[in-house]
Amino acid sequence: MNDFLFIFLSFFALLGAFGMIVLHQPVHSALSLIVTLLALAGLFALLNASFLFAVQIIVYAGAILTLFIFIIMFLNVKESNLPKEPNKTLYLFLGGIVLIPLNLLVLRAFYAMPLLREPLAEDFGEIKPLGAELFTKWLLPFELISLLLLVALIGAVVFARKDEV
Amino acid sequence: MIVSSLFSYVLVAMLLFSIGLLGVIARKNIFVIYMSIELMFNAINLLFVALAQYRHSYDGQIFAVLIIATAAAEAAVFLALIVVLFRRKQSLDADAFRALSQKEAA
Repeated sequence: MNDFLFIFLSFFALLGAFGMIVLHQPVHSALSLIVTLLALAGLFALLNASFLFAVQIIVYAGAILTLFIFIIMFLNVKESNLPKEPNKTLYLFLGGIVLIPLNLLVLRAFYAMPLLREPLAEDFGEIKPLGAELFTKWLLPFELISLLLLVALIGAVVFARKDEV
Repeated sequence: MIVSSLFSYVLVAMLLFSIGLLGVIARKNIFVIYMSIELMFNAINLLFVALAQYRHSYDGQIFAVLIIATAAAEAAVFLALIVVLFRRKQSLDADAFRALSQKEAA
């Protein structure tokens, strides 16, 4: 059953990713990416990461991609605004060939890795132990991330402001 | 059996990362380039979570949470930048935004 779920979710993740780089309209690409993100959320659940499963759906698919689609529609992109990409298929094909050796190298390095073990703790990946770890061992990175979000917020406001010149 | 081997997760993560890299190098649409970067983030997240399970450690999962927060910050700045650039150039072609890196030739 889990094997079937894994194959099903990975298939949709790869299909969505492939559709994302092939489709011409940005809105179609974004919708295709949502399929990938939801399938990845399912893979997180298979890996006992229940908190990340929720975060992936709420923050990634829910907030970031929704904001993204909102901006694409807000800009009212017309066909004449899109770049012309006559050699797109050729570039994708050639790029795919170039990336094969890199893939083989990494996969060969991981080939001999042993199987995943079942988690020791019953509540592995749930919000309580994860939060305890986050606020003790990872407190400084957590605070730095909040600072980064503040900087990004101010930066976005500065960018989007109307020019006064 | 497949689901319990680390290799199958590495395979999926690597393929997703390659597709993302392919999108960055082969496409000109600035939105698709951005989404490809997000896809690469997600491939790395999958690898982190799989390795967290493999090592029975929370470090990988926490790093994935931090990456998601960074991606959210990046999305805010990127979208503000794109709105400004689109208003000026009326184009989504990455080549139209060369002014960001060099002096614009009138």
